[in-house]
Amino acid sequence: MAAAARRGRQRELGKAGWGWTALVAVVSIIYFFPVLWIILTAFKTRTDALAIPPKLFFTPTLDNFIGVFYRASISAGGAQETNFPLYFFNSIFIAGTSVLLALIVGTLAAYAFSRHPLRGNDTYLFIILTTRMMPPIVVIIPIFLMFRLSGLAGSYWGIILLYTAFNIPFSVWLVKSFFDELNPEIEDAARMDGATERQVFFGMCLPQILAGLAATFVFGLILTWNEFLFALLLTGVDTRTVPVAMARTLGGEVGVDYGLLAAIVTLFLIPIFFVTFLLQNQLLRGVTFGTVKR
Amino acid sequence: MASGQAGWANDPAVGERGDAVVILAELRVQGLTKRYGQVQAVRGIDLEVASGEFFVLLGPSAAGKTTTLRAIAGLERPDTGRIIMAGRDLTTTPVQGRGMAMIFQTFALYPHLSVRANFAYPLRRKGVASREIDRKVAAIAAQLRIAHTLERKPGTLSGGEQQRLAIGRALVQEPALLLLDEPLTNLDAKLRHDTRAEFKRLHRELGMTMVYATPDQLEALSMGERIAVLREGLVVQTGTPDELYLRPQNSYVATMVGAPPMNLVPATVQAGPPAPVIDLPFLRLSPPQAPAALEPGAELLVGIRPHDLTPALDDRPGPRFLARVQLTEPLGDVTVLDLAAGGQILKMVLPEAEALAYGVGKELPVRLVSEHAHLFDRASGQALI
Repeated sequence: MAAAARRGRQRELGKAGWGWTALVAVVSIIYFFPVLWIILTAFKTRTDALAIPPKLFFTPTLDNFIGVFYRASISAGGAQETNFPLYFFNSIFIAGTSVLLALIVGTLAAYAFSRHPLRGNDTYLFIILTTRMMPPIVVIIPIFLMFRLSGLAGSYWGIILLYTAFNIPFSVWLVKSFFDELNPEIEDAARMDGATERQVFFGMCLPQILAGLAATFVFGLILTWNEFLFALLLTGVDTRTVPVAMARTLGGEVGVDYGLLAAIVTLFLIPIFFVTFLLQNQLLRGVTFGTVKR
Repeated sequence: MASGQAGWANDPAVGERGDAVVILAELRVQGLTKRYGQVQAVRGIDLEVASGEFFVLLGPSAAGKTTTLRAIAGLERPDTGRIIMAGRDLTTTPVQGRGMAMIFQTFALYPHLSVRANFAYPLRRKGVASREIDRKVAAIAAQLRIAHTLERKPGTLSGGEQQRLAIGRALVQEPALLLLDEPLTNLDAKLRHDTRAEFKRLHRELGMTMVYATPDQLEALSMGERIAVLREGLVVQTGTPDELYLRPQNSYVATMVGAPPMNLVPATVQAGPPAPVIDLPFLRLSPPQAPAALEPGAELLVGIRPHDLTPALDDRPGPRFLARVQLTEPLGDVTVLDLAAGGQILKMVLPEAEALAYGVGKELPVRLVSEHAHLFDRASGQALI
């Protein structure tokens, strides 16, 4: 009951006072400014985008967004569709699938590491993490060669497998920490109440860490969503993701079209904003998991 | 109380006790041992619990209480030893099939399920029909006065309501044996008192066999029909509360049972004449009956209950000595006084009004009320006589 009172006090909004609120607001604006600037640029004409001093007030245009999906083409006799719908689909499909797979595999592994520790449990956990310690650029050539030899290069499965493998260590560690926080007596109580091991896992453990799973999913998604290096080398024309496609718009004979780029980035932000917003409540609980004794 | 639910893996015999039909569930634990890595949690425990008995395991933390309960429940596989209930060897029976229920120290409520679903969970797992579940849940919730909380999550309940939910979730299964692992440790003092009474009442009404682990001698004495005192994975003494209080078999039980704990004073046996006397630092005692073990020179611990000391205000007979008050601890109706005598600290309990006369530093004559002194061998701690 004392704990509840403590939590109640923490949630009393505005308690920090105006000074602190203002400071945090200023810092937040500094953080958010680049994002805001890109979004503004997406609605600017080419002239406005390049204007010096930069224009804060301008007449918005949707031309850049139209330009993402259609480009002027003399041979096609007017407007020609671009491949960006495919690239957006690729980004969503590849990132979504691989992060979900990593979460499933990672959760099962995390449960095993947490509830049925092996001899040398910590050593195995450490080894799993070492794969994330190397700079990715170190392994890119061997991986590229392996993918070429095995025919995985350019395929959906190839890049999904790679991202899954990259996300698993992170998932295992994070989800294990959530399992470790749970009260094991709840699982014992369920067993005494007649639950099988499967029912203990699915009916007791998973529901209690839903927030943590959501947080793990979003963090993995953000990392994978923005991944460029491997996507550049290992995706083909049909499996190209948005970051790669974005980079390819950079070097044209007419120079960098900042408005177009900003429009792509703005569109690219929408899905991740959406997912984060959707899971916001879970996320907050997930990242503070265990910091508050319940 | 209906017996022998369909779907139970074991179906113990059914007998009568008072008006209630109860499930016969005498429990035997034989030679139980369990080691966790380097730690030998249980070193060989034997217990016999009669059907319908309220049996208490009393001991400090790490004495092996929880491990013993978990082995009985089937949550731990013993290294050696057997668990036998109603004549059936359950040692290797999986936890789900033992027909027992357990109340945990942390209550172990299912935080993501509503109160109703918490109650219903064990019944669902055992395949009880949902209409039957609804009826039983409604009945138990009403009985435990938490019917108004059924749609809420356990986290929103008060401590007492959480405790009653934990009790109800165990009782709704109508278990043959109820195990309780320090169920009062997480409650505040007032609630602890109420729940003690509640457990006693439930036990009387349901006639269920209960094994209750606690580090609190007050809980053990007030609820237990029989108590096993545990120390470092072994049973030190088993008996009724009276037996443990009046005839502790060693100095450990003597200090575990009774509050404030028994005073233990080192003493030596001196040769008569006529009979040998026991030489305490502040007093000489002539043992009322001379035990054979009292050879001159023997080193003893003399146990004196705090209630057996009283200010010697009149000239009634009885061994007496001078002591100085070192500390007073008013507990409301009584006061505990720490007395210094002969380099020893003795605790004495007096009614609060009487104790007012004795402030810190005051010297007073003290008399032993009871003729009966507990004598223990100083090296082994074993009771003499």
